[in-house]
Amino acid sequence: MSKLNNPSKIYLAFVFIVLYAPIFYLIFYSFNSGGTMSGFEDFTLEHYAAVFNDTRLIIILLNTVIIALLSSFISTVIGVLGAIGIVFLRNRKTRSAVLSLNNILIVSPDVIIGASFLILFTLVGVKLGFASVLISHIAFSIPIVVIMVLPKLMELSSSLIDAASDLGASKRDILTRVIIPYIKPGIFAGFFLALTYSLDDFAVTFFVTGNGFATLSVEIYSMARTGITLTINALSALIFIITLALVVGYYVFNQRSRQIAETRGGQS
Amino acid sequence: MKDIIRISIVLLAVSGLLLYAVSLLERSSATTGSGTISVFNWGEYIDPELIEQFEEETNIQVVYETFASNEAMMTKIEQGGTSYDVAMPSEYAIEKMKESDMLLPIDHSKIPNLENIDPYFLDLPFDPGNEYSIPYFWGTVGIAFNPTLLEDGQTFESWDDLWDPALSQEVVLVDSAREVIGMGLNSLGYSLNSTDMDKLREATEKLKTLGPNVKAIIGDEIVEMMRREEAAVALTWSGQAADMMWINEDIDFSVPQEGSNLWFDNMIIPATATNVEGAHAFINFMLDAEVAAQNADYVGYSTPNEAATELMDPEVIEDERFYPPEELRGRLEVYENLGLEMLGVYNEFFLEFKMDMEN
Repeated sequence: MSKLNNPSKIYLAFVFIVLYAPIFYLIFYSFNSGGTMSGFEDFTLEHYAAVFNDTRLIIILLNTVIIALLSSFISTVIGVLGAIGIVFLRNRKTRSAVLSLNNILIVSPDVIIGASFLILFTLVGVKLGFASVLISHIAFSIPIVVIMVLPKLMELSSSLIDAASDLGASKRDILTRVIIPYIKPGIFAGFFLALTYSLDDFAVTFFVTGNGFATLSVEIYSMARTGITLTINALSALIFIITLALVVGYYVFNQRSRQIAETRGGQS
Repeated sequence: MKDIIRISIVLLAVSGLLLYAVSLLERSSATTGSGTISVFNWGEYIDPELIEQFEEETNIQVVYETFASNEAMMTKIEQGGTSYDVAMPSEYAIEKMKESDMLLPIDHSKIPNLENIDPYFLDLPFDPGNEYSIPYFWGTVGIAFNPTLLEDGQTFESWDDLWDPALSQEVVLVDSAREVIGMGLNSLGYSLNSTDMDKLREATEKLKTLGPNVKAIIGDEIVEMMRREEAAVALTWSGQAADMMWINEDIDFSVPQEGSNLWFDNMIIPATATNVEGAHAFINFMLDAEVAAQNADYVGYSTPNEAATELMDPEVIEDERFYPPEELRGRLEVYENLGLEMLGVYNEFFLEFKMDMEN
C-alpha cells in the first residue's frame, strides 16, 4: 500500500476528530464537580461513585449487555442457517421473494416493528419484560445477520461443495467443514452488527419493556423531564473505556494467534 | 468451526455469569420479603433511599421503572402485559384513564396518612373526592427568567411583561397548546378553561403580537437552554424552573398576578395491579410526613403534604415562587377536561399562533 500524502492525512485526522470529539467532550464533563455540561469547575470522581452506588442503574446496564449478547448470539445462529437455506433454494423466484421479505424487515421503521410487537405480545399474553425484549431483539437482528452472511455464501462456488461430496463428505461435514469455515467472516460481521443494533436500540425496546425491566437507552430517555445528570456521562465514559479495552484486547489476541499460525506454518 | 464453538461457549458463559450477577444484585438491593409491588414513575422523581426504607419497613420488594411521558405510561398500562401497582400520572391523564376504566378506586381507610395532605389540594375537579388519585407533587405555570441577561429592574409580575419590546428574541415557550393558549387567556383576565370561541380568538390574536419576542417554542430542552443561558426568559412549569435553578442559581421564577395553572402529579393504582394491598401501603408510606419531606427535598418540587412542610427548611416553604401565598392560590386554576373537541380547538389555535410566527 502506498503511503498517504499530507492532505489525505489531514483529512483522515479531521474525520477522526469529528467522530471522537463529542465522546471526549462527554467524558471530560463526567469529571466536572459543577454538575452540568457547561463550565468546568473542579475535578471530581463523585459521578463515578454515584454510578456504582446506584444498584438499579448497574442492573439496567447488565441487563442491556445480557440482552445484546444473547439476542445477537441466537439471531446469528438462526440467521446463518436461514441464509444457507435461502441460497440453496432451487427456485429463483421463491429465492428473490424470500430475500425481499427479509429486506423489508430491515427497511421498515423500528417504531412499526416495536408497536406490532407490543400488540402481538399483549394478544398472546406474554408479560412485558426480559423475554419480550429478548424475543423482539432477536427478531430484528435476524435479517441483519442474513444480509451480512449472504454475500459470502454467494461467493462460495458450488463446485467446492460438489468436490466435498465427491470425496465422501456427509451433509453434516459439508456444513461444518466447508460452508461455515468459508463464511466465517460474514458470521462474525453479522454477529457484531447485531450486537451493536441491540445495544443501542431504543424504538423497539421502548415499546416492549415493562414490569420493571428496562434497558439503558429507555432509562436515559425517561430522565428527560428532570434533566440528565452527569452520572450518565460517567456511565458512558465507563462503557467507552470497556469497549476500547475489548477492541484492543481482540486486536492483540488476533495478532498473537496470527503470529503463532505463521511460525507453525514456517516449521512444517 | 472449532473456534466458533469455543466463542459460542464463552458468550453463553458470560451471559450466564451476568444473569447471575443481576440476580445477586437484585437480591442484595431488596430484602427477601412478602410480595413485590411495581412502581411506575417519572425519571428522577423519587429519592431512591426511600424505596429502600419502604422495603425494610414493610418487607415488600419494590420493582421500580420510569417513564418519560403520560402518553407512554398510559399506552403501557392500557395495552396490558404489564402489572404496575402504583403509577404517577399528571392530572389530565387521570381523567383519560378514568374514562377508559384504567384505574382502581383507592380505599381511604388504608391510607391514614391522607390527613397529612393540605385540604386545598384534595377534592379537585379532575378527581372529585380523590376516589382514584392522591396528589404526589404539584406546581404552577409561570415565567422563569435570568436577571443577569436582562435589563435591570425587569420583573414579571404580570403576563403582559412578556410583551415588553426590550425582550425581543429572548422568550422561549413550552411547546404545549394548553399552557401557551392558557397564558394568552390569563393575560386577558379570562379563565384558562375558557371554551368561549371569541375569547380564544382574542387570546390567539394577542399571542400573535408576542411573535417578535419569541425565540423558540420547544419541549424539555428548555431546561438545558436556560441553564446554559442561551435564553433569558421561559414560559414553563414550576418544576422545570426548579430544575433550572438547581444548576444555574441566577435564574428566578415568577407566577404572574393575573393567575395561572395549578398542576398535579398523582399516585394512582392501575386496573391491572396485582398487589393492591402493597400499593396502598406504598401510597400511605409516601404520604408520611418525614418521608414526604425527604422526597420533596430530593426532587425539589412542591409537596402537597402539609405535615411534611412543617419538617422542611422554612426557607423553602416560605419561598412564594414555589409555595404561592393564599391570595395568589385563589387565582390558580386546575385544567378541566374540556373534551376532545375543545382540545382540538385549542390545538388549532396554537397551530395558528405557531404558523403566524414563521411569517
